[in-house]
Amino acid sequence: MSIKLTTQAYCKMLLHAAKYPHCAVNGLLVAEKQKEKKKDSHSTPILCVDCIPLFHGTLALAPMLEVALTLIDTWCKENKYVIAGYYQANERTKDFRPNQFAEKVGARIAENFSEAAMIMVDSTRFTMGCYEPILAIYDHHENKWKCRDCNADCFEDWCEAQKITSALLEGRSYESLIDFDNHLDDLRNDWTNPEINKSVLHLC
Amino acid sequence: TPVQTDWRVNVLIIVFTEMRDKLRKWREDNHRNSEQIVDVGEELINEHASKLGDDIWIIYEQVMIAALDCSRDDLAWTCLQELKRQFPGSQRVKRLAGMRLEALEKYEDASKQYDSILQDDPTNTAARKRKISILKAQGKSAEAIRELNEYLEQFVGDQEAWHELSELYINEHDYGKAAFCLEELMMTNPHNHLYCEQYAEVKYTQGGLENLELSRKYFAQALKLNNRNMRALFGLYMSASHIAASPKVNATVKKANVKYATWATNQINRAYQVSYARCLL
Repeated sequence: MSIKLTTQAYCKMLLHAAKYPHCAVNGLLVAEKQKEKKKDSHSTPILCVDCIPLFHGTLALAPMLEVALTLIDTWCKENKYVIAGYYQANERTKDFRPNQFAEKVGARIAENFSEAAMIMVDSTRFTMGCYEPILAIYDHHENKWKCRDCNADCFEDWCEAQKITSALLEGRSYESLIDFDNHLDDLRNDWTNPEINKSVLHLC
Repeated sequence: TPVQTDWRVNVLIIVFTEMRDKLRKWREDNHRNSEQIVDVGEELINEHASKLGDDIWIIYEQVMIAALDCSRDDLAWTCLQELKRQFPGSQRVKRLAGMRLEALEKYEDASKQYDSILQDDPTNTAARKRKISILKAQGKSAEAIRELNEYLEQFVGDQEAWHELSELYINEHDYGKAAFCLEELMMTNPHNHLYCEQYAEVKYTQGGLENLELSRKYFAQALKLNNRNMRALFGLYMSASHIAASPKVNATVKKANVKYATWATNQINRAYQVSYARCLL
């Protein structure tokens, strides 16, 4: 079972990494809740429609992650979403392999959503032009995480994702990106990022 | 006409003062907003250098470090040359030259630079800490931890170092040792709500009933020190809820923690109301 990403989901992930180039960052991906499981459902990919940036800096502490999962779970239920994935960009550019923490969070998400994906951002290939997808997507099989090739097929519309992400990076939209850490610093900061969502829509 | 000229000059002075004050605030807050520092600092240096007086040297240093963050080696080099010219033979400038080598990933050359500083001055803490940063950049966490521990045996009052060490331990999932570092920080900074709150988070992560109860106490302490610390408030709610739900606690303890959790929920709701934000708890 494979996942696909919308432009909005991919965009916000990269903006989060771009806002904190000197930190590790992580976040969640959400998909629309499927009504029923069809017989041949293994052929329909899950579409991750949005991304919730969570933390930057020290990631490996439990309490705020639990708070975030609780609040975002409620939000998901209201919007008929389900938490479908977890992304992480490590502090060191050259370090793009999932660590113990990423696997733990991924496994936790997989408990509630069996087709959950774990995504690692490869910062070594991160450019303003966004000419290639810079993700490594891991699927959960028999308690192990297996890496899948990430190419244009992993996106709802790669050309659109590339164009819009690049435009927003050039325009420094990452300066106004809000993650859950920002929300905890000031509750008025909205981790659903409505302004950035608008910008993405506007450029579509 | 004289009036028009005055108006234009006044605007320039205001703009210049604002830029200089922004840089000072970012310096004092130790903000790592390097792109903005480069934007403001580069213009200040290029257009208003003469007005800066002696401030210009610390601004060159600040802009240089920000430029390294933004891969602006051209700008970093310019700042470094100005500083070298003004302060020949300075250890502080030598350290900046080392940082530039680090930014270019020339770690061996950078290390040699810091070693030469340490030869002249074995107590130069900045050079020692840069060497540890190189280990961190190379992913040599175990070595970085070892060196940092050795450093702290000598410089036991260096808070920045204790905090760095706590983060290194957290990344290695060595929560017990991370807690120890934060205990050192809390001892020397009993009024710092952030250390209290971080200690509580580490204890919570360690898990187990005893650690949960400790974490609840320290979340509460952080709140006492700063009643607007949302992490402490949420942490109090989470830890009290978990304790109350634990099969290992007696009825009295359970009742008390239900009370704490309920109090925390009300406070959280109020905090969201005050911010005109939606509470999802």
